[in-house]
Amino acid sequence: MALFPPAGIPSQGELLLITDELSSPADFLLHRLTASHLKGGSEKAARAVVLTVSENVAKWKTIAAKANINLTQLIDSRSVVFLDVVSRIPLLPNIAANTIGVLKPIIDDLDSLLNEEPSKSSSTLVILDDISSLEWMGVPTQDLQRFARALAALCRKLNAALAIRHHIVTPGEPDDLLRLLLQICTYHIDVLPLSTGRSGAVSGQIALHPGPGQILRNCKPISRSAALQYKLTDSGCVFFERGTSSGVL
Amino acid sequence: MSSFKRRATSKQNAQPQGTRILPGPTATFITSTGIPSLDDILGGGLPLTCFQLILAPDIHSAYGELVQKYFTTQGLISGQDVVVVADDPRAFVEECMWTPGAPAPSHSSAAEEEEEESSEKHDEAIKIAWRYEQMKQFQTTVSSNQSEDNYCSVFDLTCTIPKTTVDTMSSSKQLFLVEIPFPSPDKSSICQVLREILARIGPESTDANGRKPMRVCIPALGSMQWGDVEPHLRPNACASVSLPAHMCTDAWGGAGWIHKLGWLSDACISLSAFTGNPTLSSMFPKHHGFVHIHSLPTPATLAPPSDKFSTLRGLTSSGENNLAFKCMRKRLIFETLHLDVEGGVGERRTTPATTSIILDEISHEEHTHSVSEISTSGAGAAVQIQVEEIQQNIAEVVVEEKVSQENSSTKVKNVKKTKQRKKVAFTSDSPDLYDF
Repeated sequence: MALFPPAGIPSQGELLLITDELSSPADFLLHRLTASHLKGGSEKAARAVVLTVSENVAKWKTIAAKANINLTQLIDSRSVVFLDVVSRIPLLPNIAANTIGVLKPIIDDLDSLLNEEPSKSSSTLVILDDISSLEWMGVPTQDLQRFARALAALCRKLNAALAIRHHIVTPGEPDDLLRLLLQICTYHIDVLPLSTGRSGAVSGQIALHPGPGQILRNCKPISRSAALQYKLTDSGCVFFERGTSSGVL
Repeated sequence: MSSFKRRATSKQNAQPQGTRILPGPTATFITSTGIPSLDDILGGGLPLTCFQLILAPDIHSAYGELVQKYFTTQGLISGQDVVVVADDPRAFVEECMWTPGAPAPSHSSAAEEEEEESSEKHDEAIKIAWRYEQMKQFQTTVSSNQSEDNYCSVFDLTCTIPKTTVDTMSSSKQLFLVEIPFPSPDKSSICQVLREILARIGPESTDANGRKPMRVCIPALGSMQWGDVEPHLRPNACASVSLPAHMCTDAWGGAGWIHKLGWLSDACISLSAFTGNPTLSSMFPKHHGFVHIHSLPTPATLAPPSDKFSTLRGLTSSGENNLAFKCMRKRLIFETLHLDVEGGVGERRTTPATTSIILDEISHEEHTHSVSEISTSGAGAAVQIQVEEIQQNIAEVVVEEKVSQENSSTKVKNVKKTKQRKKVAFTSDSPDLYDF
């Protein structure tokens, strides 16, 4: 059985881009990243900030409970913070009128949150779930590109790890936003459906590409042709090499 | 006397009306869509807090609307609050189907199609090999298992909802009709409708378990007056939304539009009917369209519960089944799509089906035709026919030459051409050449 993601992805100050498609949602990866970050913080206290657009907190709580994490307790102690992005941006008709800084309040809120006392001494993971929904809500692409850059810069400055999730709706034809995200990311995790359609034994496959921002070559890339396969289970997910599903399951 | 006491389960009381608990570690309440086979695809039913999006990209049919009507009627019958948002909601509700007679479990057999009954009777007479006798009958769909709770009723498409029922339900506030208001410059119609629905659902903070579940049904979101927005649902409500046919394809919203819809909804299923494509309807005469699953509800888990519980999708044993739907006289059914039995007969019968009889007739006609041709030529050999025809041609040409003798050389060329043409046409027309 293979282990994924490799340890130390994303480490402090790095940007991890996660792309997924409709038939292979990457929710499991976000939950896994958060869980391993909250559990595995050895010397420093771990902290997670989740910028949510389309997911509800109740679901996060139930899934975290299966990984033996009491999210309610962590939210109360502000070790885990959920920031609702949608409530912080103006309503749809006003987005077009408000040309500068539609998403500025989010950056400001995050800045003050990361500068709080517990954050400074702890290792922080920031998750944006997801950036595509914002684009579909009517936020101009240019604003989103600026937002992504600002977010990456802020996290690098405050030494926090950042994971951005992006939905691919046109496989094989990257849009402008994805092009930018690919340029600024340190790693790119590619969650793909099986090309043969849905299967009971294999939920999808996963590839890991190094991004232009990678400085230390501390992890082995996984190409699409040798992609790791995964199966979602009740309590989490299982990874295995291609063609070995029958041995694992 | 033992000090151990059986712990009484108190959870039963908290279950909202007309719902079931999704089997699993966390309690999730699911409601029925009114179609047992669609419930199966969704993994038992539509969970509360989720909303399903039914796409029907075919402009000639209204299967999306039909599913919405099932959803509405099921909500009304199981005593849940129903909000219908439409251009003319009253007319929409009055067109809904209803249960045949009194809602009693014994009527489930009455809803069976006559056609099926006759075929079942027919099957009884078939003698089956002993090793297959113990096996279940081959099934392409699932039926509702009638139980004491009014989870999913049996509906009859030939019955419509009685007007008095609509009146009493709307007066008792169980049915709530929202007309799409005319858009005003300061407020969009979306905002107004959303405000009305939210007022009806009530605040989020109140205890969801103590209240009735509510269904929001929007048969044609985005038709003419609408904009485009996702309703935010509260714990005690679920919604079913359809889009007008022209908005159900990638051509409307640009590349990736269907994927976007799938991401923004909890369950997105498209029913692509065959009405626009005669080749498909002739290829699958037993079905009326394909069912494509874009996304499925995952209320509190990573993998959709449908993966585990759905019989129709069949993911527990192997890859996903192909699904199709058919609308019969009394009900709409989602079932697995299978290739026809070899020979083009779509049913497992022992007597020839109607289609095969027609096919036989056609082939018989063709056969007699070819026989008659051969008999006129005098013998079965193909070469002789050729010679005769060429001779005829030459005779015609000779007649023509008598009429106009000037261009005789060109006519001779024509004769040669006709010879060649005839030859080609003849070989392609007669299948007998290959028979020997």
